[in-house]
Amino acid sequence: MANQTDLVDRSSGRIETVQQREAIAPLVDVYENSDELLLLVDVPGATNDGIDVQLDKGQLTILAKRREEPPGSLLAAEYRACDYSRVFSVPQGIDPSKIDAQLSGGVLRLRLPKSDSVKPRRIEVKQG
Amino acid sequence: MFSRFGEASRDFALLDEFRRRLDRVWEDMDPSWPASSSVGRAHSSSAWPRVNVYDGGSNLVVKADVPGLSEKDVHVTLNESGLAISGQRKVAPPEGYSAHRQERSSFSFSRSLTLPCKVNPEQTQASVKNGVLTVTLAKAPEAQPRQIAVQAH
Repeated sequence: MANQTDLVDRSSGRIETVQQREAIAPLVDVYENSDELLLLVDVPGATNDGIDVQLDKGQLTILAKRREEPPGSLLAAEYRACDYSRVFSVPQGIDPSKIDAQLSGGVLRLRLPKSDSVKPRRIEVKQG
Repeated sequence: MFSRFGEASRDFALLDEFRRRLDRVWEDMDPSWPASSSVGRAHSSSAWPRVNVYDGGSNLVVKADVPGLSEKDVHVTLNESGLAISGQRKVAPPEGYSAHRQERSSFSFSRSLTLPCKVNPEQTQASVKNGVLTVTLAKAPEAQPRQIAVQAH
């Protein structure tokens, strides 16, 4: 049996985080056109400085931290203030340096421009 | 090494692992599932938006997650039976894009909450910031906490 004190839960193979604060998967829309991939992510309560977006080895990691001071003692709770975390594998040909992230009204808008080499190109047919 | 018995127990271990992961999916997607014991009135799995109610001493604060909604999309009504929050969430796909994944959806919503004490309707404020609706309700004078002096005999 795996040792319960391991930092990594070996029995499930799932890597656990050091922080006890939990992260939930936010709802995401993914759109694409010929120039870019567009992701819309619902992250209510998150602020600009708590957002971390990284593209590494074809994995897009979206992390949004929620830091809110409770305005008093809790009487009734239907949600807990937790962080948002989600990882996508994205196709090749996305330029990591051109990723653009905007946060507005609790919705994160991520634009992943395709590099020129993967953009569709129309081939002119020449008269023979 | 690979006796029949060994293979069977490995398959069962895989099944266990599968079930455990499925349980985790539910926990990860919906933090209130299974509903925690502190959840108050008006709770159902389809209730949107999710609401937290705080007691701030002289006021009550109601907070609700409304990502993508502006102050124009949310209507807050205070009446004798309590506080009502309603509105419409519109998610329009952007022009000229094809959709790969659409988890965010458009819908109308309406919720009403019974307040735990009387409030002063004149001093109610509501705002939307970072996709969170905050309604601050001042408690009525008779519901305000009162400090009672403890006297020595």
